[in-house]
Amino acid sequence: MAFEYEKYLRMDKIPHLWCPGCGIGVVLKAMLRAIDNMGWDKNDIAFVSGIGCTSRAPGYIDCNTLHTTHGRALTFATGIKMAKPAKHVIIFSGDGDATAIGGNHFIHACRRNIDMTLVVVNNNTYGMTGGQHSPTTPIGYKTSTTSYGNIDPTFDICLLAKAAGASYVARSTVNKGKVLEKYITKGLEHKGFSVIVATANCHTQFGRKNKMGDPISSRKWIETREIPLDKARNMKAAELEDKIITGEFISEEPEQTYWENYNHPIHEYTEAYQGIIEKAQKKSEGENK
Amino acid sequence: MSEKINIPDHYRRWEADIKIGKKEDHVTIGYWRDGCKGCGICVDVCPKQVWEIIEAKDKWNGQVVQVTDAAKCIKCMLCEVHCPDFCIKIY
Ligand SMILES: Cc1ncc(C[n+]2csc(CCOP(=O)(O)OP(=O)(O)O)c2C)c(N)n1
Ligand code: SF4
Ligand code: SF4
Ligand code: SF4
Ligand SMILES: [Mg+2]
Repeated sequence: MAFEYEKYLRMDKIPHLWCPGCGIGVVLKAMLRAIDNMGWDKNDIAFVSGIGCTSRAPGYIDCNTLHTTHGRALTFATGIKMAKPAKHVIIFSGDGDATAIGGNHFIHACRRNIDMTLVVVNNNTYGMTGGQHSPTTPIGYKTSTTSYGNIDPTFDICLLAKAAGASYVARSTVNKGKVLEKYITKGLEHKGFSVIVATANCHTQFGRKNKMGDPISSRKWIETREIPLDKARNMKAAELEDKIITGEFISEEPEQTYWENYNHPIHEYTEAYQGIIEKAQKKSEGENK
Repeated sequence: MSEKINIPDHYRRWEADIKIGKKEDHVTIGYWRDGCKGCGICVDVCPKQVWEIIEAKDKWNGQVVQVTDAAKCIKCMLCEVHCPDFCIKIY
């Protein structure tokens, strides 16, 4: 049965400004279905983004939305969560926004394990500003700032999130809209910091410079590089170069070994922060007696 | 066929009786032409060649899509899920 996206959209702002076939639309739809799966009241959701094509999403969603400064979505979101712990805080960020200018905030939000959900739309480039290379542009690919091919090694955002302390981490791609929906739903259900990476096509800026300037060939380029995590475990590093490892990088299976889940967080931050507020209040009540 | 069909009036509609495996069913496909950007993703993801690209002089890239034969649809929902522009509704 058809999904009623209208329920969660500011329809007077649709059609959105993204290019025909842009992957961000597919991820946004998965996100809206995931929100619907949770059955939350729209007024209890705070949806935050930074700057970039991806970060235009709050303009289209009908809930509490905040369009902040480049790279700082997580800091504003943290503020909201600390002030209003009952709100469900969701952050929608680009690869540049989350891992270049916002990389520092990213690792520390993971480290604190704050009960929020971050969706990173990874299109391997700075789409909005003309297709510069980002921390996820694969080696050898051309961008407006790597005309002879990129030589910078990439971040694996999922492994980075896991190492930094996020407690639910998963990745899928725009070719698997229903899987994205499933992972985002699990992220929203999860108590702690969850990171879902959606590998997406920016055929206009990134694809065009790499002989895949239309959405279909860019989506196919992503599809041919997808490798499920279970398969990747038994593959050599050289075989995995330029591959997109998909699946859940942290699940909370108790049988996981130390190394598989070595940095599993000891507590969730919002609750710990509430504990501090209570302690401070008790102390000042005592002093005022 | 008890589900409520909620397709706005300005959508184009195609309907057909279909068979999914042995099961008899009915499909209603709704399509919002004004919102469609002619990207062709629905055409690419459909396993049954239900969609085709057609010329549209009023669109900047000169194309939109239409349904060739709704009777071929198996309600897999791939086109609805992957249209980046909220233009397809399958009931
Ligand atoms: C402080 C600051 N530096 C630089 C910019 C310019 N800028 C705007 S968007 C962007 C990159 C966006 O890339 P990404 O986050 O991957 O989003 P995409 O457009 O690819 O979705 C940059 C560098 C800015 N707006 N603010
Ligand atoms: S420039 Fe790239 S990321 Fe931005 S809307 Fe176009 S295809 Fe999407
Ligand atoms: S629901 Fe599936 S079979 Fe039917 S038109 Fe869409 S993609 Fe094709
Ligand atoms: S996927 Fe959506 S926007 Fe793209 S051609 Fe099909 S109906 Fe139009
Ligand atoms: Mg980007």
